[in-house]
Amino acid sequence: MSSTVLDLPRAGQPAPDPDEYIGALMRWHFDASTGSPFWLRRARSLGFDPIADVRTFADLRLFPNVVDEFRDVPVEDLIPRGLAGEDRVIAGVYESGGTTGAPKRFVMFDRWMEFALSWDEFHYADLGPANVLAVAPSGPHMFGEFAARRARRHEGVRFTVDLDPRWIKRLIERDGPGAADLYAEHVIDQAAHVLTTQAVGILITTPPLLERMARRDDLVELIRKNVRFICWSGAHMDADSREIFQAEVFPGIPLKGLYGSTTILGMSRERPGEAAGGLAVFDPPSPYIAFRVVDPDTGDDVNLGERGQVVMNHLTKYALIPNNLERDHALAAEPPPGWLGCAVADVGPVATFDDHAVIEGVY
Amino acid sequence: MGEPIQIDALGPAGPYRSRNRRPLTSLSGAQIGEISQVPSLYVHRTIAAMRAAPVVPGARRLDALDTAAELFLTAPLGGLGPDEYVRLVSTASGVPRAVVRQSVGWIADVLRAQRTTVELAMPRGAVGDWRDGRTREGAAVWARRGDLFAVHAAGNTPAVHGLWPEALALGYKVVVRPSAREPYTAFRLVEALRQAGFPPATLTLLPTDHDVADVIIAEADFAIVYGGQDVVDKYSAIPTVLTQGPGRSKILVTADVDWRDSIDIIAGSVSHLGGTACTCASAVLVEGDPEPLARALAERLGRIPSLPADHPDAILTVQPTASVVEVDQYLHKVAGDARPLLGGDTIVDELPSGGAVLRPAVHMVDSPRAAQLGVELPFPCVWVGPWRPADGVAPLRDSLVLTAMTTRTELIDALLDEPSIINLYLGDNPTTWLRPGIPHDGYLGEVLMRTKGMIRTAVESPAA
Repeated sequence: MSSTVLDLPRAGQPAPDPDEYIGALMRWHFDASTGSPFWLRRARSLGFDPIADVRTFADLRLFPNVVDEFRDVPVEDLIPRGLAGEDRVIAGVYESGGTTGAPKRFVMFDRWMEFALSWDEFHYADLGPANVLAVAPSGPHMFGEFAARRARRHEGVRFTVDLDPRWIKRLIERDGPGAADLYAEHVIDQAAHVLTTQAVGILITTPPLLERMARRDDLVELIRKNVRFICWSGAHMDADSREIFQAEVFPGIPLKGLYGSTTILGMSRERPGEAAGGLAVFDPPSPYIAFRVVDPDTGDDVNLGERGQVVMNHLTKYALIPNNLERDHALAAEPPPGWLGCAVADVGPVATFDDHAVIEGVY
Repeated sequence: MGEPIQIDALGPAGPYRSRNRRPLTSLSGAQIGEISQVPSLYVHRTIAAMRAAPVVPGARRLDALDTAAELFLTAPLGGLGPDEYVRLVSTASGVPRAVVRQSVGWIADVLRAQRTTVELAMPRGAVGDWRDGRTREGAAVWARRGDLFAVHAAGNTPAVHGLWPEALALGYKVVVRPSAREPYTAFRLVEALRQAGFPPATLTLLPTDHDVADVIIAEADFAIVYGGQDVVDKYSAIPTVLTQGPGRSKILVTADVDWRDSIDIIAGSVSHLGGTACTCASAVLVEGDPEPLARALAERLGRIPSLPADHPDAILTVQPTASVVEVDQYLHKVAGDARPLLGGDTIVDELPSGGAVLRPAVHMVDSPRAAQLGVELPFPCVWVGPWRPADGVAPLRDSLVLTAMTTRTELIDALLDEPSIINLYLGDNPTTWLRPGIPHDGYLGEVLMRTKGMIRTAVESPAA
C-alpha cells in the first residue's frame, strides 16, 4: 500500500518528482487503510476529493487551515493507520501556541524527528564531541527534545534550564515588559551557572535570551572561550542584531538560526552565506516541509523578494498539515532548484493575529 | 533637495548606520533621506561602553561647552553648514526658519551659560569639587546621583535641546534619542559637542523606534522625556523620568492693570515659536469682561501671515495637510460650546508649496473652570475666560508658566505657594521669557545631584 516515494530519503537518492509526491501523499492520508482517523473524518466536510483534486503543490491551497482543530482532537486520531514498525515509534507529543489561545498538539514520530534534526547537520559537521546547553523551552515544546538529540549526536549531554514562555507572555500582558525581566534574569542566572561550571560546546537559545547573555561580560567571555556553535530559534533576529552578534559579541563562533514551528514538526535551516541586507535565508526540507509567502489580504503568493505572511505545509506520511497561515511575516526568497514553494528571509512578527495582540517576549 | 540625507547613530565607536532605517520625509510627504533605527542590542552595548568611559573633568566640560556653542552656530557639521541646516529643519519639519534661528541662538546661549548655571543651581553650602579647601574644615560636596542621562527628544521646536546640556555640564554622560520628525538639530548638537571635546563614549545619538526608546529610558539613571499627556501619564510614576508634557501656560490679568498696554506681550506669549513651545500661553484669564481683550488678541493674531516655513518672515508652523486637518478636527471637538473669535471655521491654510499652515485660534469660555482652558495644542491656540478674586488660585493651577499681570501682593504670595505653578512671571513679561541660568522646570541639578558631607585631613590634591 505504502508508496516508497513517501519514504524519507537515503543518501544518494534523487529527490522525488513533486507531483508524484503530492499524489502519493494524498492517497496515503485519504485512503481508509493508511489515513489517520482525523483526516478520514475531516475529508467528508472538505467539499472536494483530495485524491482526485489535489495533484500538485498549488492544489494544496484547496485545503482549509485545520490547525485550530488540533487544539482538542485526541492525539491518537492524528496517527496515520498505515504507519507500522519503526515508522510508528513516537518520539513525543508536542504543543504549539498556548501563548495566543489554547495549545495545539502534534504527534512527533521518531524517524521523522531524526530526519528533521539532520536537516541542518552540515552546520555541525566539523564540531566533534560537545555538550549542549539549551536555554530554551522544554516541557511540551519540541525545542528541548531537539536539543537533547543534538547532544547525543555529539556524544555529549544536554544541560537545560526550565523556561515557560506561556507564563512570560502572561506576565508581559499583565504588567508590561518589566515584569518579564525578573523571570528572564532568573533564567540567565541558571544558564550562567552551567556555563561557569560545565564544558558547553553548543549553545541553543532564543534571540532575546542571547541578547541578555550578551549584556553580561563574564558570560560573553565564557561563551567566547568554550562555545563553538550557537544555534538560535524561537523568535525573530533582525539583521542588525545578527551582524553585531557575529562581528562584535561572538566573533568567530558560528551563529546559525533555525526557523520552524511545532505546526510543521520541524525547522528550516539557515542557508550558508546570506541574502542582500545581511539577512539569513531559511530553506525548509522540501518536499516534506514547504513554505509559501502570501499577501495577507488576498492569500495570493507574493513575488520573490516581497514581504508577506508565511504559510507552512507539513507534507509527510507521518502527518499532513497543509496551508497553515503562521503569524510571522517574511520576505519570499528564491528556493533551491526543484523545491516546492519558496525560502524565507527576515522573519518577524505582525502586530495582531487572530484577534489576540501578539507580544514578542523572551521566547 | 540634493543628496539624500542619512542620519546615522553616533555611537561610542563612531557613526553607525543600521540596516533597519525609516524614511525621512518633507512636508509634502516626499522622501528626503533615511534615519537609522538601532536595535536594543546596540543600545545595551552603547550604554555599557558609556558607563565604562571616564567622566570628562569639570573644567574641560565647561570649555567644551563654550567651544560647542561656536561650532553649533557657525561650523559645517555632518556635511551641513549652519544655513543649510536651518533650511533643512524648516523645509523638512515645518518649523519656521526664524524659529529655528531663534532656537539655535537659544541653545548656543545655554551652552555658554553652563559655567554660571551650574554655580547657580548648586546649594550654597556645597563645593563643586572635593579638592576645594573648604572640605578640610568639613563641607558639602555636590555629587552626581547617577552617571547616565537619557533624552527622549521632541521635534516641534529645536529649542527642546536647550535643557539637556546642563546634564553634560554636571558630568553626566548623555544619550539622545532624536525625534524622527526633526532629528537634524540633535544630530548637529551632538556633533558640535563631540568636536568640541566630549569623547564619543560620553555623548551618543541613538535613533530608535518607540520600543527601543523605552530600553534607553529604562537603562539610563535619569531621563527627560518630551511628549503629550499620554507620555506624561506613561512615565509620571517613575521618579527618575522627568516629563516635559503640555505646559498649559497661562496669563492672568487683574482689574488693577490695564491690559491694553500689554496686548502685544499677551499675543506674543501665544504666538512665540509658532505656538509650539510649552511656555506658550494657551489660556488667558481676565478679571472683568474678557471680551475686549479676546477681540484685541484675535485681531493681533489674525494679522500673522501664512507663509512657507522656509520663508524668512514665517512665524507659523507648517505641517503635512492631513495632520493639520486632524488638529483642526480635534480643535472643533474640544471647543464645544466655546465662542470662536478667530479660527473657528478652520485653522487649515494649505500652501501651494506643500503642507498647510496652522492658523491661530482664539476662543472665549464663560467660566474659569471651563475644561477648554487646559487644552494645549501645537499652534497658537488660546482660550480666554473670566476670573474673579473669589475664584482664587484653582483655575491657575497646573501651569508651567503663569504670567500674572497684577499688583496684588497677597495674590502673588498665594500663586508662588501653589506647587503646580512651576514658574511665576509678574507684570509685562511674556510666558515665553527665558534666560540661561533661570530655571525652566527647576534646575536639572535639583534632580541629578545631591550633596554629600565631607571632611578630610590626609588626602591632598596633587594639583593643588
